[in-house]
Amino acid sequence: MSSEVSGLKSATFHGDGYEHVVELVHQRDDHARRSLIALQVEVREAGGGLLATLPVDPREEILDVADLTRPHVGGRGLVMVTFDARYDPRTLPYRPHHYAYLHRRGSGAPSLYYAVNAVLGGVPDRVGATTANNLENYLFLRRPLEERYSLLVGNVAHWATAKARVLAYYAGRPRTLDLTLEPGAHAELALPAEQDGARLERVDMKTTFRLATYVVGRRADSGDMVLFDHLFPYFK
Amino acid sequence: MRLVRVLARRILGVRRIPTYYLPWIARAQIECVLVLSNIEARFRPGSSPGPFRLSARQHDERGRVVGEYAVELADHLAAAEVPLTRGTEGCGIVTVDVAQIQSDLYVALCGAGSYTVTHGRHEFVERYPAWTRLVMAALGRLLALMGRTIPAFARNQYVYSGADHRSHLLLMNLSNVTNRIRVELQSRAFEWTPRLLALPPMGAHLLRLPAATRGETAGLHVGRLHAAGNAWFNFYVVGAGPRDLAGPLSLMHVK
Repeated sequence: MSSEVSGLKSATFHGDGYEHVVELVHQRDDHARRSLIALQVEVREAGGGLLATLPVDPREEILDVADLTRPHVGGRGLVMVTFDARYDPRTLPYRPHHYAYLHRRGSGAPSLYYAVNAVLGGVPDRVGATTANNLENYLFLRRPLEERYSLLVGNVAHWATAKARVLAYYAGRPRTLDLTLEPGAHAELALPAEQDGARLERVDMKTTFRLATYVVGRRADSGDMVLFDHLFPYFK
Repeated sequence: MRLVRVLARRILGVRRIPTYYLPWIARAQIECVLVLSNIEARFRPGSSPGPFRLSARQHDERGRVVGEYAVELADHLAAAEVPLTRGTEGCGIVTVDVAQIQSDLYVALCGAGSYTVTHGRHEFVERYPAWTRLVMAALGRLLALMGRTIPAFARNQYVYSGADHRSHLLLMNLSNVTNRIRVELQSRAFEWTPRLLALPPMGAHLLRLPAATRGETAGLHVGRLHAAGNAWFNFYVVGAGPRDLAGPLSLMHVK
């Protein structure tokens, strides 16, 4: 049996005031065979401290993240929610890709649908990796828009501290920010839309192993989220 | 099942043409922009340093070509922004010739206070020979009288409705035959009668999903949507806020 079980670890971030549900299995079928075998959901604060391990029925199709984390998010800003799933690849031949739906209550912004970041096991992609071997990037429209941008980065590893180098490019020139995250910790890095009169063009992130990463766009006036998207890994 | 499909395609003479495609959608207050680059290829061994040429073809809801664009990227780090629909309303499919590039391409929806981005898919479009198109057209019309279609492809998708927001779907026919797509929706909260949509070759349809109506308007409601069509199709999720399709929208791929 154990040889027929695959694993998927993914992570998202949740803040107070949002309706937010996560699809545990993307595909469904009439006989409800397509469900996870096991699922552990954890909620962590920015410093990495474990706030809760949530009891979840792995046969559920959709989890209400807002409801589940409500006792733990008040006054904390964003919390990181991890999904440690086990599934049978015979019933879910493609991984049970988690998608999610998100909308801030009372916001005039459109609802967002996004792919929950799969971070695998939170372990180095190669044994003995000591240099950056995981690169992700994201491009931005270069026209002035009424948004502010940031990068959400989370380390889902239980024991390993993660180092990341984030490079935000303006007119081809990088602005470099180095980041160290303790196990379970996360941070939100502001990406100024402009620097020295040049627009934000792209962001690159280099790490020694896979982190949970999202590009976030918020309306400048209300702070409502209008963009919550994965970066593009392109070199491992 | 896979073998049956392969055999059926062979008998019908269907060819699958590798194609990169993206959705587009535009409203009076929303601009749709392609962001084209070859940045993911910069560390690939043997990758050319550039320049790279791309051409894009924009199809409207009826499948007509309404725009053609040519772009040259100087190198791997260059990015080109191609506005698609300034001043127009509509939706559809953009296909991009990616013979010279190896990178995902973005499509952005932006307007006052909104900016969402998603990427396209490097998959294929289906080409049916003339005799197959005739057979499918005749059979499709016959089944349509009973509200049915040939269920050659099926997709499942969750859809959502909250007090002042919900999701819709942008359906895309990725073939050269009329694609009759039957859409069912299961949910205690939604009023929905199964419907049959006929999408022209390379056409698209913005499927407006209902708000929750059956007495349960508070909270977030989930529907299970099942779509089956006679030829290859895909869809993107369109997110809407309090002004529904008249307001800012988001766009997102599905698996």
